[in-house]
Amino acid sequence: MDEIVAEFVKRTILKIPMAEMTTILKAWDFLSENQLQTINFRKRKESLVHDLVMLCEEKHASVNDAALLDIIYTQFHQHQKIWDVFQMTKEPGEDIDLFDMKQFKSSFKKILQRALKNVSVTFRDTEENAVWIRIAWGTQYKKPNQYKPTYVVYYSQTPYVFISSSRLRSSIPLLGQALTVASKHHRIVKMDFRSRYLDSLKAIVFKQYNQTFETHNASTPLQERNLELDINMDSRIIHENIIEKDRVQRVTQEIFGDSPQPRLEFAQYKLETKFKSDLNRGILAERKEPLRCLVKFSSPNLLEALKSLAPAGIADAPLSPLLTCIPQKRMNYFKIKDK
Amino acid sequence: MELANSLSQEGRPKGGVLAHLERLETKSRKKFEESQGAESDLGSKIRKLRSLRDKLKAEVQRRQARAEASVEPDQTFEVSEQEVLETKLENVKSILQAYRFTGLSGKLTSRGVCVSISTAFEGNLLDSYFVDIVIQKPLRIHHHSIPVFIPLEEIAAKHLQTNIQHFLFSLCEYLNAYSGRKYQADGLQKDFAAFLAGPLQRNSLCNLLSFTYKAELSGQSFPFCARLLYKDITRTLPTDVTVTYQGMDALSTSWEEQRASHENLFCTKPLHHVFASFARREEKLDMNLVY
Repeated sequence: MDEIVAEFVKRTILKIPMAEMTTILKAWDFLSENQLQTINFRKRKESLVHDLVMLCEEKHASVNDAALLDIIYTQFHQHQKIWDVFQMTKEPGEDIDLFDMKQFKSSFKKILQRALKNVSVTFRDTEENAVWIRIAWGTQYKKPNQYKPTYVVYYSQTPYVFISSSRLRSSIPLLGQALTVASKHHRIVKMDFRSRYLDSLKAIVFKQYNQTFETHNASTPLQERNLELDINMDSRIIHENIIEKDRVQRVTQEIFGDSPQPRLEFAQYKLETKFKSDLNRGILAERKEPLRCLVKFSSPNLLEALKSLAPAGIADAPLSPLLTCIPQKRMNYFKIKDK
Repeated sequence: MELANSLSQEGRPKGGVLAHLERLETKSRKKFEESQGAESDLGSKIRKLRSLRDKLKAEVQRRQARAEASVEPDQTFEVSEQEVLETKLENVKSILQAYRFTGLSGKLTSRGVCVSISTAFEGNLLDSYFVDIVIQKPLRIHHHSIPVFIPLEEIAAKHLQTNIQHFLFSLCEYLNAYSGRKYQADGLQKDFAAFLAGPLQRNSLCNLLSFTYKAELSGQSFPFCARLLYKDITRTLPTDVTVTYQGMDALSTSWEEQRASHENLFCTKPLHHVFASFARREEKLDMNLVY
């Protein structure tokens, strides 16, 4: 193991929190059971890491092995990255996609390596026929920088790709090209959809949330819903208000569904509209140019917060379609112009 | 007055003091007797009323007992009507629930209809998928649980507005075929892992399977690599199969025959059936070796 690799291995292991150390090392499956048994996991972290690096040295860990460990760490800590969603399109009338994972991987790697002499690409297959790809970028003259990798998550035979946001803007076009060619698509476009919660992006983009359907077999918990109504209501509300509360609940349920909302942290609206005012014209109203303004909604769970606005009485039901269209349009970055 | 009378003649008491005392005594006795009589009257009245009350109580109890005894026959008559209705309702509900075994069933919703597609393969009930359709002009899919790699938009674009039956049957076809292929691939991984020399390579649609397996012939074992392509995703059998030998030397004729026959098997039979037949052949071989 040369110095660079040893350093890379050490820094990757050092990132792992003590509580997750055994789980992640087992998932890595590089060090054998016997080797792991020789380690005292109760030592201080520095000395533990040193021992582990020694074991890796014994087994001649390569850059690829360390990169695989990095992927596993990132899979456990997905929310440390911000994920962008990209959409790929095919030409209409193309044959059925016979996706071959091996072919995809080799094609993807070849394209990147042909363009950049120095690039390291690592793959890890995951469930649901998906693959995590880690790319460390170098240049013609510099070795790949292992500490600023880009991660790509791709579910086979779907048009969507999840890519971790990186400062290295220049790498995006090449990455896009490699993805489209390897997956036999024609174009790739960045969607205005971004979040730390990869699972939520996936749930929205693949429409996997709100999966309660009315069937004769389901025991629709209508009674539960009524109870919810009661719990939310103030006992001092009298009959007239009950009707309105009922309507609000019904409209909210129609728009948001019954199940928990996927987690997004923000929605951003860039307004480029003319200033409109009911009051007597002020300075702003007389401008012909649009008023540029940015409105950003932040929340630990934006969609749940929006769902609770009308029942809490803070907003009218139904909410503005600009807010409720986020899951359907798969967007949380909007540019609003005058029509 | 009597005293007055008794005094009236010559103003002397009739019969004297003793007679007067006698008269007072009888008077008081009469009064006493009267009151006694009255008392006994009251008493007898009380006794009469008491006995009447007891009689009434007894009657009430008897009637209650009779009513309870006869309540059942009366109420069972009413309950049986209700029970009949309830059993009818349960039956209808069960029939509606059982419709899912036909593979395609639906339930009316406030907006339209929610269609359930229950997939099956070789008599095994597999996953169910749902499409919630809003009945408006034009028909609109409100939400669904169809996986993203099934070409729902294409099928909807072709048939949803013009022929909803065709839309549903077409969707059923795609989903049943997908479920069937998935069932075969899962079966291979689960039940015949011992035959595989390496992981089964598959994709989301389960329309490309690639694996290396151990083929046996007269005690010898060779690794064969199979590649199954399902170009028609409305079918559960592959359209193209290639079985190749991974070694360097050429295959002997008998092995070449094996290879070709395996190719044919994979084309015509579901995966798990093919491997089950391999397993049976091995068993026969083992039996031969034992004896």
